[in-house]
Amino acid sequence: MKPRFLTGLLSLLMPAMVLAGEYDLTVDRVKIDTGDFVKEGIGYNGASPGPVMRFKEGETVRINVTNNLDEMTSIHWHGLILPFNQDGVPGISFPGIKPGETFTYEFPIQQAGTYWFHSHSGFQEPDGAYGAIVIEPEGREPFRYDREYVVQLTDKHPHSGDRIMRNLKMMPDYYNREQQTVGEFFSDVSENGLMNTVRDRMAWGDMRMMKADVEDVHGFTGLINGKGPDQNWTGLFEPGERIRLRFINSSAMTYFDIRIPGLDMTVVQADGNNVQPVSVDEFRIGVAETYDVIVRPKDEQAYTIFAESMGRSGYARATLAPEKGMEAAVPQLREPARLTMADMGGMPGMDHGSMAGMDHGGMDMGSSEDMSGMDHSSMEGMDHSNMDSMDHSNMEGMDHGSMTMGKEDKSDPFYAKGSGLMPKAANGGKFLSYADLKAQDPLYEDREPTREIELRLTGNMERYTWSINGVKYEDADPIRLKYGERVRFKFVNETMMTHPMHLHGMWSILDVGAGQWNPIKHTINVNPGTTVYMETEVDEPGQWAFHCHLSYHAAAGMFRKVIVEGGPDSTQAKTDAIAEDGGEV
Amino acid sequence: MNASKLFVAGMALSMSATAFAAGAHDGGHGHGATSGEPGKASEASRTITVEMYDNYYEPEEISVKPGETVRFVVENKGNLVHEFSVGTPDMHEAHQEEMMMMVEHGVIQGGKLNHDMMNMDMGNGHSMKHDDPNSVLLEPGQSKEVVWKFSDKGNIEFACNVPGHYQAGMYGEVNFE
Repeated sequence: MKPRFLTGLLSLLMPAMVLAGEYDLTVDRVKIDTGDFVKEGIGYNGASPGPVMRFKEGETVRINVTNNLDEMTSIHWHGLILPFNQDGVPGISFPGIKPGETFTYEFPIQQAGTYWFHSHSGFQEPDGAYGAIVIEPEGREPFRYDREYVVQLTDKHPHSGDRIMRNLKMMPDYYNREQQTVGEFFSDVSENGLMNTVRDRMAWGDMRMMKADVEDVHGFTGLINGKGPDQNWTGLFEPGERIRLRFINSSAMTYFDIRIPGLDMTVVQADGNNVQPVSVDEFRIGVAETYDVIVRPKDEQAYTIFAESMGRSGYARATLAPEKGMEAAVPQLREPARLTMADMGGMPGMDHGSMAGMDHGGMDMGSSEDMSGMDHSSMEGMDHSNMDSMDHSNMEGMDHGSMTMGKEDKSDPFYAKGSGLMPKAANGGKFLSYADLKAQDPLYEDREPTREIELRLTGNMERYTWSINGVKYEDADPIRLKYGERVRFKFVNETMMTHPMHLHGMWSILDVGAGQWNPIKHTINVNPGTTVYMETEVDEPGQWAFHCHLSYHAAAGMFRKVIVEGGPDSTQAKTDAIAEDGGEV
Repeated sequence: MNASKLFVAGMALSMSATAFAAGAHDGGHGHGATSGEPGKASEASRTITVEMYDNYYEPEEISVKPGETVRFVVENKGNLVHEFSVGTPDMHEAHQEEMMMMVEHGVIQGGKLNHDMMNMDMGNGHSMKHDDPNSVLLEPGQSKEVVWKFSDKGNIEFACNVPGHYQAGMYGEVNFE
């Protein structure tokens, strides 16, 4: 059931057959020009983003990383399954790479798909230290395409990461330009009445949060492959071709809603792992996630790739066109999202007495019993358009007893019911849900988890502290797992923000209620007011990072070290030695 | 309740409409293209085995002569339900909407077909059976035959219209010699 075990065995038996690729990366100070502003940043081989690293499944790669900065650096290979001492997290995998030093990573490539790499030191990643990884599979892909493009997004901010963190710590709403205004208060009063409006504002005040806290860092320029909206990165195609777009969200803080007006997108891969294809009009990509889609433009015209931030405070834009210089209309940003009471469903210690109308029914999704919204027999999103002009005269007495009809609710079970973040496709069509993701070829056999670990995602917006179970990283004990067990993680989001949780080194099997077809990912979004489950086959020894991938949340303490005890050999001793070596995270 | 009855009946009707279009009667699917008509096994000039995997065919293209009758032996060697359907791109596109409804009704569930649902009597002889002569819908491990007499040259593909599969590239080309 584990192909990578086989691969490992083969490479032991036939060392001569193993391809070895040698790659060089330099870490450099670079200039970043977004079209809106120019800033100093950090990049690879002289540019940000860095190069697309192309590997082949089955090869062993050697990557020489030379640090040309005057500070420590590191590279983490996001989503790759590798020995923990190659994972690139200072203080957990290795001490880091000193200024002027060259560190050689070496590990076998045991998977295929779209991934990315980035610095795990300080705020070098938001400052530009990221790039894409494309791994060609050993066999054929379970889909076809004529050409492919990496589409790597980021939220480039004029301020450095250090400065943003300082400002957030001083004033958590420093970068929030969407604050509710006095005018909004009075318009709410006229709509909802004075007492309701005051009560609403007080409830939000109690939580140290505001309705407009969808994104806590505004003021960025969205980039695609390093190009701002006006610089318009363009991918060429011949009409009729199938194009594979490898979307990677390398943002520090920003989720994007992505659409290509005029084109269906067929999602074939999520986080590097093939999923059963699903055609959508739009999808939301969390920070650090990847989605591969296939599009087929048939007409000789340009198409806009439009990526609006979830909070609508900015966007990225690129173009697919038959010729350079062609462009299509760029849509307007939609209205900013406003959080609702449903999004604070998970907040403990709140007085719910005054919150009539709050519905917690949608909160506990993810466990298979509660997936009523995903039952195939329910008829959400059906197209009744071809029913016109039918002759209905002979339909008496038909038995439809087993069908649950009439459910017009298109809500996504991975958002709190009534959530202000509930995604909707701009054209009224299909918006991808986690519930649509099914593994194409499950990597693991389904089995009962050996135990459950609850992780409450916690924080205090007023002090800009972010934590797990109320404890920030520097005060927390590591999470200890045993090699060979299957752990069920229960994420309970008690904050008002969405957290993309990333476990290094081992797959996150997202529970979408599909049993053995549950997809495997490396980053799991947990929306406000929701509980999400994932399971992990603990099959890699060593110690690993486990954190929220929003840069400033991770730095504020929403981070854990995971120690895997035991293993196929005596890797434990090495782990302990490195643990004491220190270094920054 | 009412809407549901109308809807299901609508689906049964539209599916038979597709079967009609797939025949030799130029059933209004535009461009005047037809893919041929059901053939007789006794007239088949040869047998072509088509294996279905997740989510692609082997082979991915075949050559036929105009008017030739071919016996296809279709085997599902994947872990998911797949279809083998002969038609023009427009016919496949129309059929994909019906297949989407079959998924939404729970008729197609990943690697399984819900036969009770397929055979359910919708009244007036209609059902959600997938019994068009130009196609077969197979569970993993199943094998069935399609005997097809190709008409003139045209833009003909064999395709899997399980939602997402065609879009991901599960189709094969029919080239005319």
